[in-house]
Amino acid sequence: MINFLNTIFSIFALLFLPFVMVGIIKKTKAFWGGRKGPSIFQPLYDFIKLLKKDSVISNSTSFIFKLAPLVTIVCTVFAGLFAPLITGSAIINIEMGLIIFAYILGLNKFFALISAMDTGSSFEGMGASREACFTAIVEPAFFMIIASIMAISHNFTFDSLSKIIQNMGNYGVLICIFAVLALFLMVLIEGCRVPVDDPATHLELTMIHEVMILDNSGFDLAMLTYAASMKMLLISSLIVKIIIPDGTPYYPIYYLAAILLISIIIGTIESSMARIRMSHVFEFIFIMSSFALVILSLTAVRVFGG
Amino acid sequence: MIGYFIGIIILLLVFLAYFMPALGVLLNGGEIIKTLNFGSHSVFQGINAVIDPISAFFILIILVMGIISMVYAKGYLKPYVAQGKNINYHIMFFVTLVLSMLAVVTCQNALFFIVCWEIMSLSSFFLVIFENDKKEILDAGVKYLVFMHISVLFIIVVFAILSIKSGSYDFASFAPILKSNRHFADVIFLLAFIGFGIKSGFVPFHNWLPDAHPAAPSHVSAIMSGVMIKTGVYGILRIISLIGAPSKFIAYFVLIISLITALYGVLYAISQNDFKRMLAYSSIENMGIIGIGLGVGLLGLAYNQPVVALLGFTGSALHTLNHSIFKELLFFAAGNIYIKTHTKNMEALGGLIKTMPCTAGFCLLASLAICALPPLNGFISEVMIYFGLFKGLEINVFSNFIILAFAIASLALVGTMAILCFTKAFSVIFLGNPRDTRMLRPENDCDIFMLAPMGVLSIMALIIGLFPQYVVKMLSLPVFHVVSAFHVQNPAVMQTTKTLSKLMFEQAVFLQTLCFIALALLICIGLLMFLKLSLYKKIEKAETWGCGYNKADYNAQYTASSYVSPFLSMLKPLFKNVFNIEKPKKIFPSSAHFSVQIEDIEEAYLIKPVLKFDEWFLSKFEKLQDGNLQAYIKYGLIFLAIVLISVILGSILL
Repeated sequence: MINFLNTIFSIFALLFLPFVMVGIIKKTKAFWGGRKGPSIFQPLYDFIKLLKKDSVISNSTSFIFKLAPLVTIVCTVFAGLFAPLITGSAIINIEMGLIIFAYILGLNKFFALISAMDTGSSFEGMGASREACFTAIVEPAFFMIIASIMAISHNFTFDSLSKIIQNMGNYGVLICIFAVLALFLMVLIEGCRVPVDDPATHLELTMIHEVMILDNSGFDLAMLTYAASMKMLLISSLIVKIIIPDGTPYYPIYYLAAILLISIIIGTIESSMARIRMSHVFEFIFIMSSFALVILSLTAVRVFGG
Repeated sequence: MIGYFIGIIILLLVFLAYFMPALGVLLNGGEIIKTLNFGSHSVFQGINAVIDPISAFFILIILVMGIISMVYAKGYLKPYVAQGKNINYHIMFFVTLVLSMLAVVTCQNALFFIVCWEIMSLSSFFLVIFENDKKEILDAGVKYLVFMHISVLFIIVVFAILSIKSGSYDFASFAPILKSNRHFADVIFLLAFIGFGIKSGFVPFHNWLPDAHPAAPSHVSAIMSGVMIKTGVYGILRIISLIGAPSKFIAYFVLIISLITALYGVLYAISQNDFKRMLAYSSIENMGIIGIGLGVGLLGLAYNQPVVALLGFTGSALHTLNHSIFKELLFFAAGNIYIKTHTKNMEALGGLIKTMPCTAGFCLLASLAICALPPLNGFISEVMIYFGLFKGLEINVFSNFIILAFAIASLALVGTMAILCFTKAFSVIFLGNPRDTRMLRPENDCDIFMLAPMGVLSIMALIIGLFPQYVVKMLSLPVFHVVSAFHVQNPAVMQTTKTLSKLMFEQAVFLQTLCFIALALLICIGLLMFLKLSLYKKIEKAETWGCGYNKADYNAQYTASSYVSPFLSMLKPLFKNVFNIEKPKKIFPSSAHFSVQIEDIEEAYLIKPVLKFDEWFLSKFEKLQDGNLQAYIKYGLIFLAIVLISVILGSILL
């Protein structure tokens, strides 16, 4: 029974928290800009507003364009089933959950890319091309980090993330720091936040994710933006899993606090710096790869160096 | 067409004769042995034709894919028949290819194996040069022939050494020699790996693949890429099962070569604009993935970790099957496009989904499968390989840890690069608007003979993706056959391996979860689609939003090269770009031209210089052959004199 309630609780959090997270980021930006800002539930109101609208679609599109938003949202929710959420463990907590998590998000990305190309728009092609390229750099680093962490704890579920310090002592602290930093970079890259991408402006040649959904409207747009913020929540949840030990009493409260903190940090970064020039974004993303190598060498030293 | 009917009847008869026995062996184990005798005094005497679980697995792939390609060939060859081309020879070689592949995977006699192998190479050569009136196709065919003969040279050396040592041509007699001497086995394995690796297209022996596949007609590329290159994998598996306990060196060697192969293949697949050439490189990538599975399995054997070995070999075997399904599907799609538009250049295409919806749908399915995305079959095999890699991390050896960590990252990189590659191919060919107005625009989809085989293959891909537990269970015997060869002397280990494999294959909780998730995913998408369609009826149509500029036409679209340019520009040193530019001249330029071709670095920096040197060196001897009879008599005299002198000197000295 408790298990069942936990599942319901987790799913509710998974479905509801993305709105709040984006709301808090916007509120933080408003605070630093000296404005009052909209309510933190504004993204939810926007979502409902979009659902009520009819949509306009391009003449050059095919069924891919109509299918893609559905695939995107369903995939993101399903990926969420495999990630550790508010209760501290994944709803479906199996070995190799990581692979399923990453590849379901891959399906999401595949459809996002081809749906953008379906419109025949030069802007959306550009966005798709960049997005595909960034993923290709981020994903190997992510796998390497998780693999090194899992290798030491001999545990191939996401639970191994919370056992780093327990298993590795002093090295664990270092690994934790680098893993949190790397995953935070991943939140910025996959969530399309500053300094990789700027979600606040439309129609700029420097856009990545926002430009891919340029032709979507109504229901489709609602689903796509919702899925994007949910993905940000999922990766942030991995960070929370690392920093809060398992079995902490009142875990959900710590979880919410950590998500709040991450959102505020993202908002602060967005208010304090501009996005990087497109040609330098790659260098920024490669920071994550270098962190992955650092984590790999730290684990290797811990295991084999005595 | 009479040749076609005879061909398909022969194939059907073979199918009927082989299918049930092979399936029986695959499901229930055991072996079927037939001894053939050709005359009492010939060397071809007492040849064992054996169907064991490994052969049975390959036989089923060959039979099913052979029949499907043959059906597709009817549709594909129709325009050629209409032009009055004689296709009887072509069909004959096709049937010969299928039969020789069957012979290769069943016969257990070294001499007979080489004969069948050679028939397989030759018949596929004649299939490749189907359009032999074009020079580039003949060139590609000859290149293929040369590579195949380098391959067979290595295989002959391997079998010659083994036969001399054992005094018999039978495979079973090779096992004791290979098991007795570890270093000897390593050398033999290396030679065999090069020989079979040329056939399979492992880097750096891959060079024939990207030329032969685009040259061949689609059903031939399909069967070559889907089935024939897998005979190389069969050869490697067979050698492994003979060696039994592989050394660590072999395991690392296979793993590292395969990683390089996978990365190299997908990288060049991304850079290609010719659809079939891209598919050829993607075959190289997938052979790499199969090889990674083999490498993991070998590591498991070398470090005595049965779970790792089982996972690695299962992943590898399943990927062999999966690759033959989705690669055939993709080559068929390429064939449909070629028949309808007469081009293989992706840059010129676009928007085909509107007139060719079935081809597009099948191609989408195959693209998802080849990118290893759930809920399709490629995902299952790649997950098994990942599982093996992760479990392998538990082996506490430094080099192992580092290599496997990099292997996991590389496999992830290969996966995302495959997504880049196939989103490019699918969207540039089928989506958007036509990119070149001069191109032929198809008005309707292809006929039923071309679409039905694709439908069958798509259903197979979906079934493996949705119900992996049953398919993986079917693979347990061939995999166990390879793994158990190692443990024959040790019954205790054998018993644990048996229990483990039971646990893995029969309970398969993990696979059941995958099955459940995949079904739930499809149902949810379906429900949401239903909801959307019933709630949102009013949809307005408009032009694509051009940011206020409404004159943007097909020219403004992203093309294949521009889609991948951000990624490729990071990796410039790995390519050799050949530019062909004609700059606009004068005030009113009359013509201008720009094209870029990406050349394989191996070909540009290794094969071409060697060939050039060869040509230069041999040209030094051109003068000797000047067509003058007196000169030839002079050479004869000089030769005789040298022989005479050496005989005399020899008799004095010895």
